[in-house]
Amino acid sequence: MSARPGSTVVDRQSGSALSANADDAAAMLVGAVKRFGSDRSAVVALDDVTIAFPAGKFTAVMGPSGSGKSTMMHCAAGLDQLTSGRAFVGNTDLSTLNDRELTRLRRERIGFVFQAFNLVATLTAEENICLPMTLSGRRPSVAVLDQVVSLLRLGDRLHHRPTELSGGQQQRVAVARALVAQPQVVFADEPTGNLDTRSGQEILGFLRSAVDLHHQSIVMVTHDPNAAAWADHVVFVVDGRVHDVMDHPSVDSVIDVMKGLGR
Amino acid sequence: MSQMMRSAARSVLASRGRFVLTGTAIMLSVAFLVATLVLSDSMRGRAAGDIAEALAGTDAVVQGVVLGEPGGGPGDPERSVRRSLDPDITERVATVDGVDGAAAQWVGFAKLVVDGSSVGTGTASDVGRNWVTDPALNPFRLTSGRPPTAVGEIVIDRSLAGDAGLAPGDVVQVLTTTGMHDATITGVATFASADAAPLQRTVLLPDGAVSAWLDTAAPTEVLVDVAEAADRAEVLGRLSALTDAEVIDGSDHIRTMQDAATSPLQFLTVFLLAFAVVAVLIGVTIIFNTFALTVARRRRESGLLRAIGAERRQLLGGVVIEAALVGTIATLAGLVCGVAGVGALRWLVGLAGITLLTGPSIVSTTSIAVAAAVGIGATILSAWIPARRAAATPPIEALRESAAEPRVVSPARTASGLVLAAAAIAGAAVAVVRSSATWVVFVAAIVPALVLCGPAIVTAAARGSARVARRAAGVSGSIAAGNLAASPRRSASTALALMLGTAMVTMFAILASSLTSAVGTDVRKGLQADLVVTSATADFPTVDPTLAGRIGALPDVDAVAALSIAEGIVAGKAEAIGGIDPTALPTMFDLAPIAGDLADLREGGVAVVGDDPRLLGGTLEIGFEGSTLEAPIAAVVARSTGGFEAPLYFVDRATLDASVGRLLDATLFVDLADGVVADAEEDVRALVRATPGSFLETRAEHVANSGSEIAAFRNFIDGMLLLASFIALLGVANTTALAINERSGELGLLRAVGATRRELRRIVRLEVALLSFVAASIGIAVAVGFGWALIDVTGGTEIPSVVVPWSRLAVTLVVAVVAGVVAAAWPAFRVSRVPVLELVGRDR
Repeated sequence: MSARPGSTVVDRQSGSALSANADDAAAMLVGAVKRFGSDRSAVVALDDVTIAFPAGKFTAVMGPSGSGKSTMMHCAAGLDQLTSGRAFVGNTDLSTLNDRELTRLRRERIGFVFQAFNLVATLTAEENICLPMTLSGRRPSVAVLDQVVSLLRLGDRLHHRPTELSGGQQQRVAVARALVAQPQVVFADEPTGNLDTRSGQEILGFLRSAVDLHHQSIVMVTHDPNAAAWADHVVFVVDGRVHDVMDHPSVDSVIDVMKGLGR
Repeated sequence: MSQMMRSAARSVLASRGRFVLTGTAIMLSVAFLVATLVLSDSMRGRAAGDIAEALAGTDAVVQGVVLGEPGGGPGDPERSVRRSLDPDITERVATVDGVDGAAAQWVGFAKLVVDGSSVGTGTASDVGRNWVTDPALNPFRLTSGRPPTAVGEIVIDRSLAGDAGLAPGDVVQVLTTTGMHDATITGVATFASADAAPLQRTVLLPDGAVSAWLDTAAPTEVLVDVAEAADRAEVLGRLSALTDAEVIDGSDHIRTMQDAATSPLQFLTVFLLAFAVVAVLIGVTIIFNTFALTVARRRRESGLLRAIGAERRQLLGGVVIEAALVGTIATLAGLVCGVAGVGALRWLVGLAGITLLTGPSIVSTTSIAVAAAVGIGATILSAWIPARRAAATPPIEALRESAAEPRVVSPARTASGLVLAAAAIAGAAVAVVRSSATWVVFVAAIVPALVLCGPAIVTAAARGSARVARRAAGVSGSIAAGNLAASPRRSASTALALMLGTAMVTMFAILASSLTSAVGTDVRKGLQADLVVTSATADFPTVDPTLAGRIGALPDVDAVAALSIAEGIVAGKAEAIGGIDPTALPTMFDLAPIAGDLADLREGGVAVVGDDPRLLGGTLEIGFEGSTLEAPIAAVVARSTGGFEAPLYFVDRATLDASVGRLLDATLFVDLADGVVADAEEDVRALVRATPGSFLETRAEHVANSGSEIAAFRNFIDGMLLLASFIALLGVANTTALAINERSGELGLLRAVGATRRELRRIVRLEVALLSFVAASIGIAVAVGFGWALIDVTGGTEIPSVVVPWSRLAVTLVVAVVAGVVAAAWPAFRVSRVPVLELVGRDR
């Protein structure tokens, strides 16, 4: 493993909770720069971002569209490569991994929930939930599977195929899949974007309880203040930079900050 | 309209890869079709043209009276058998009022031998004729040297000269029915302007030599030149008054000769056309798949267009123009490749030992028009069907999220497919039971039945194999099996191309193996001799008749039995009649008598090959060129001596010689003394090697070689199949690539949650392997069933039993699966290289 930066990473702007001891970070970006395109028409999506996502906490990433919030998450999760800077999951520097090692890391230490295309259509709900583990040749322990299934109340839906499930149920299966391997960190990209309000709230409730009951680390990208209010912290991203970090957010306080961003 | 044109062109350019694949499939089908048409036109056109040109000066022909018409089987003689003419026929014709010239034409067997080995091909007959001195009647033209005048001088056709590298002045030998003759080449001739007469290699002899060399007392026919001033019809009338002869008008004679020369080609043409049709069918399925998927991908776009006011016709028009664009370009390329590829096809046909075409190809406008119409028409039609379906979808439905095809298989579709399949099976069953070929027509219903049942078959196969796949390949296995079932229609039409291909392979493999077995079984079961001496060609005996005696005189040779074959007429059909030594032969070749005694052949009896002992005691009438033989049936045997020209009737050698004159031997069976086999074999080999026109085979070799004509034919089939399979595999590659595109979101998800690139490739490969396996199995199963029925009904005595070459079919299955996987390798590789985020984000 490559050299670990100093034990304390201080966010330049806020110096809030997220700047706490980096040893507690589930995932972390250090001096992260991401540029799309060639020199002249290059778009800077991440502009020297340093941020740690604390372990055992629920962090929401917010920002107007085009702010770089999704890119931040993709790079932190090893789905995309940084132009410069480094990304860590736990103690592992992602830039030192090749494609196969990255793939292994994804299935063993990261969970994903996407907005859409979340399930493999040809597998049952249970097979979908176990997919990351089956891919790495493991089986989830019965206890963990039961725990996740009961948490997400999927007991009677395990043998259905995705097409036989409602949107909310599909997303619950996706969350279950992200949780069952007990990964170091779960990244959720607009997990409620395609759902009606009630199903969305339900999903957020499940994510919240995964953090509270099982100390799961979750990073969620969203543009919905209602969703962000379920998190422990909210990171505001503007123009590829961390603009602000808010602890114990409420819907109103999040809306206020967003208004302040002028959008 | 031009707006639509532009947007169609843009859309083709935008998805170049897909259209290159589709275009290649169309191009290959069209090329194959046009090459077949051109080749068959050329073969027939050249042969017909050459004959018409060569016989242009002949106003009428006098021939012997017809005794029997040609049989229909593969080994049967092809021309009608006629009674011999009188020896003085030429003089009698010449004295008829109004005849300007009469030229006797003597035709017999003559094979050119250079330095002890014979010259010629397996398929062209070796013909000896006299050189006609009247230039108006001579079908041959000298290109160098001078005509033959003295006995021992010959002229050869340009093909022979070319094949053996001979020129005037060279000294050679000629093998005829009367043995080996030394000869000097005085000239080289062409048949009209062709190198050789169609399907013949000709040695031209001087008038003084023909009777002795060709062993005939009278000419085969007399060519007649009617005087300019005379009334042709009147002269013909006077000629027809000649006794024991028939007069044929010159133009009728040309037509008969043309038919005789081109009828063997008919078979080949039908064959090639069958392949071309399959190639086109495969091409059509590929085009259909491509456009079906293209249209599906654009559903939302077209839904939007409909919503903002585009008419159905406008949407349809775009797709059809796009198809026409691709179809036209590919068809044009196909036409060019096809015409250029005639050479390749000639080479392929040449694998079967058939050299038919000399000179340039004839490219008729009909061939071009047919191929072009098929190419462009098929493309447009197969694009129009899915486009119409898409345009019929209500705009709002099209705008909805899911663009994938429904997973449900329409029960009505499957039901109608099953009805058709039942009709096909019933038709085959009735045909087999009643031995009636007309019912076989119903078998054709199996093709639409497979098309209709395809989705149901694929779904069932995917469900059935899911558990096995899961156990064998884990989660990749179940994903692969599931993908098949997820889009049954697409999977089914991909499978269809492969299904047709393998069905075709299987049918011909069964036909070939049944034929080989039919030809080889008798030899395998009956042959007991240590060595066999065979003729140089299958269709004419060429073994020197003195060879049997010389081999028999060798020490350590226990016995020799000769088989001679003559052509005779039984019940109006030309048949091969075998002449044997009824006491010596049975010790070396067991004819398996089931009634009577072969020894009675000595008293002038005849043995009949058959399975009905009640034939015994009857009388058989055999007509020969110069005589008629009436013989009591003294024995019924279950086996013949095997080979392509196996006789169905046997008489004593002496009886046959008395009926038809001296004959060359077709086959000699040799028995060696026990214990000295190796030495004795060397002695016999030396003798045979010094005797042109004869070849030595051991028992094992002879068994293996009987039916080798068919092996050559099989090479040719394999060549064709390679081409058909290649087109089918293009289809697999194409549909796989498209299907992957369609599922990119899901594949991206798999990568995101931790599937490695290798696993992704494995899933794609597994899916294709599964599909290929299902397609090939069904293709083989269907073809085995129906091939069996077809051969059983139409095979007759030529193919008495159906032999299914299981090991070959197993290889076909494996090859189909492996080839499918190979075809999918590229799209699988490409998708595994696409970054995860791009896959997830694609098409959102």
